Amino acid sequence: MSENVISTRRLSPAAKAALGVFARYATIIGLALMIVAFSALSPDAFPTFNNFINVLNQASLAMIISGGLTLALVIGEMDLSVGYAASLHGVLVTGLIVRSGLPIPVALAVVIALGGLVGAANGLIVTKLRVNSVIATLGVGTILVGLSFAYSSGAPIVAGVPETFLQLALGRWLFGIPNPIIVMALVVLILWVLVERTAIGQEIQAVGGNQAAARLAGISVDRIKILAFVISGMCAALTGALLASRLGSGTTSAADSYLLTAFAAVFLGSATLRDGEFHVLGTLVGTLIIAFGFNGLNIFGAPTFSQYVFQGATLIIAVGLSSLGRMLAES
Amino acid sequence: MNDAALETGTLQAPPFVVAEAISKAYGGAQALKAVSLSIVPGEVHGLVGANGAGKSTLIRILAGLTQPDSGQIVVDGRRIAANSPHVASELGMTFIHQELAFIPGMTVLENIMLGLPKKTRFGLVDWPAIAREVAPIANRVGVRAPLTANVKGLSTAENWLINITRALVRKARLIVMDEPTAALATAESERLFGIIRELSKSGIAVLYVSHRLDEILELCRRVTVFRDGRLIGELTGAGLSRQALVESIVGGAVEPSRNRAVAGAAEGVAISVRRMSRAPKVKSVSFDLKKGEVLGLGGLVGAGRSELARILFGADRPDSGEMTLDGKPFAPRSPAQAVKAKIGFVPEERRAEGLILSKSVGLNLGLANLDSIVVSQMLPLISGRRRDALVERTIKAFAIRGAGIDTPVGRLSGGNQQKVVIGRWLQSKPKVLILDEPTRGVDVGARAEIHRFIRGLTHAGTAVLVISSDPEELPDLCDRVLIMAEGRIVGELAGDALTRHAIIAASYAGVQEHGAT
Repeated sequence: MSENVISTRRLSPAAKAALGVFARYATIIGLALMIVAFSALSPDAFPTFNNFINVLNQASLAMIISGGLTLALVIGEMDLSVGYAASLHGVLVTGLIVRSGLPIPVALAVVIALGGLVGAANGLIVTKLRVNSVIATLGVGTILVGLSFAYSSGAPIVAGVPETFLQLALGRWLFGIPNPIIVMALVVLILWVLVERTAIGQEIQAVGGNQAAARLAGISVDRIKILAFVISGMCAALTGALLASRLGSGTTSAADSYLLTAFAAVFLGSATLRDGEFHVLGTLVGTLIIAFGFNGLNIFGAPTFSQYVFQGATLIIAVGLSSLGRMLAES
Repeated sequence: MNDAALETGTLQAPPFVVAEAISKAYGGAQALKAVSLSIVPGEVHGLVGANGAGKSTLIRILAGLTQPDSGQIVVDGRRIAANSPHVASELGMTFIHQELAFIPGMTVLENIMLGLPKKTRFGLVDWPAIAREVAPIANRVGVRAPLTANVKGLSTAENWLINITRALVRKARLIVMDEPTAALATAESERLFGIIRELSKSGIAVLYVSHRLDEILELCRRVTVFRDGRLIGELTGAGLSRQALVESIVGGAVEPSRNRAVAGAAEGVAISVRRMSRAPKVKSVSFDLKKGEVLGLGGLVGAGRSELARILFGADRPDSGEMTLDGKPFAPRSPAQAVKAKIGFVPEERRAEGLILSKSVGLNLGLANLDSIVVSQMLPLISGRRRDALVERTIKAFAIRGAGIDTPVGRLSGGNQQKVVIGRWLQSKPKVLILDEPTRGVDVGARAEIHRFIRGLTHAGTAVLVISSDPEELPDLCDRVLIMAEGRIVGELAGDALTRHAIIAASYAGVQEHGAT
């Protein structure tokens, strides 16, 4: 009986194939349509080289933190500590430069290493203490907020931030491209090669796909999970440092909101090109959708609240459409 | 032996449940072929047969979990048009499965009442009133735990009694018990038998499914025997004996001729296991696996074979015992260490434990061979050329059909999926390969190819351990077969003594010898 009901809804093979394609390209089509629409509506302000560079520049910090988060989600865990970690490391990097007088490269290296350490703590708690990663990273993240207050007493570190540190995020390099875009490109390249083209990447994908099978194929599941958290932590630290440089200060909650942006970007990305799998290039597409959307809304002078509505709605619509398409294609 | 109460002629009563000419096929495999079974009120009816004989399928059909292709179920003389778990329950049929499903953290009473309508008072569940109703039933069954106790931590025996209580609260007229004593100690089993006899006296029928023939003989006056999905017969009265049961279960089938290749040329012991134990399934197991040998592990489902395999592969740690690999002490703490020591493993549940279903054939095949498909150890980038060559070689060697390098493995058929799991170990040339049910649910052609591959490996000196619940498979494939029962090795068969008949007989004999300890 029930089988008959299902069979009457069955789609023709051509329709299935079309839906399958649509499900995979929905986010990219959406991004393209958005760019076309904004260009048509605001031909003077939106579709210019400078504005596109500006959007990429805005997107770059979000992409770095989202790229790291992608790794945590690829192995099937959550990392809710990334936003708080980025804030803390922004405070730390300015503090290390201003208060401790460390040279800028050394301060950067220290916070990125500390970011890795925070990730290792997340990974150890999840794998060895077997705490659910939502709880583990929420707990660690909250501790990080506390540490940040302890270090800065809650006051932004502004005075005495050297100009050279500001130049890190504000400066331009090769053909006048802003530094953050170059850093983002490097991070995306490294993460993509790591996940898609290395032996460790194969193990990361296997752990994310089926932990039990990965273990029985001889993979050290715990080691891979810890590694993913470490990378997520390092990316968060890098984002925090670049944000501090862009803002010219270390502020305790400066990067907190990146958590939501990063999750939106990564989930949008999971609906891109692959069927509901998290992957680095998908995250890049997701980040760009959010960045172009914000930019367009800004150009039209849309009120602040609309940005949040946009971010939430885009996420739900994109992921919803793609899983709907996939369901229909598979039925 | 038989209880006096059971000697009274209840068999003349009109039957409660009749299954008539039930047939069921899964894919191409005929699980049941026109089998019939009738159960009268108050009888303890035995159902026996080797693994895969069709017992479970019939139980699923009675329970409404599976619909038969043809045949019908008649309850109280009325044909049941559309059976479902709900209908079966309404008609008074209850099922207690081997793996008991309780909700931990809830009390005994809450679990007993799960899904049943409950008395309420002012719209709230009136637990005290329910407890007053359930308590006498629980007492009668012999539940010792208080109704308010958490079910977590109760013994398996207690769980069975709670399930029986639940069945009685539901006003069951038939209780189907699937291997009730598999996890019970002797004293607990005796207690259960007493309760079954009580149930029988009060007119409740029991369908008793077990591999333990002594229990069947002690409890049942009528026993239905299945073999290969067919009804072999119904044994009663003088015709019901241990000898008759074994003959019916095994059958007088002609042994297929064995054209096995000679064992591989290599000499010496690959892996040596001594007094390996892990509670509760593995008890002091010792054996040697020789290089170039295919060693079978036969026995009934639940004998502890898969658990033993997981210990050898480092997936579980033993409580005690030791192993040597190539003469050196070997105690893998994880599958990763076992793989490093060149042990391969093909798990029983290929979809759950063997494959990353959403990922490509290439990724799945490469997993155990990452060292051989990277550009170099210093630069661990996957070399597309090497990986493609590896995958194409494996696809060709195994005739994996419908597979390209990038095909998600979940899209392949069962047999081809299994070839991918096994093919993963083709390249790494393991010293020891352990296969758990390598050809379950695999068609005849793929099965032959898998067997050919396993034999081929032994020529390279690989020692192979094969677990199979299919008694036909082991004589075909193995040089030697160890029989496990109740966690112990109870027999060894080799040469001309290695026959399907001998494997089944030894499996049941093992249960008999150790079941009473």
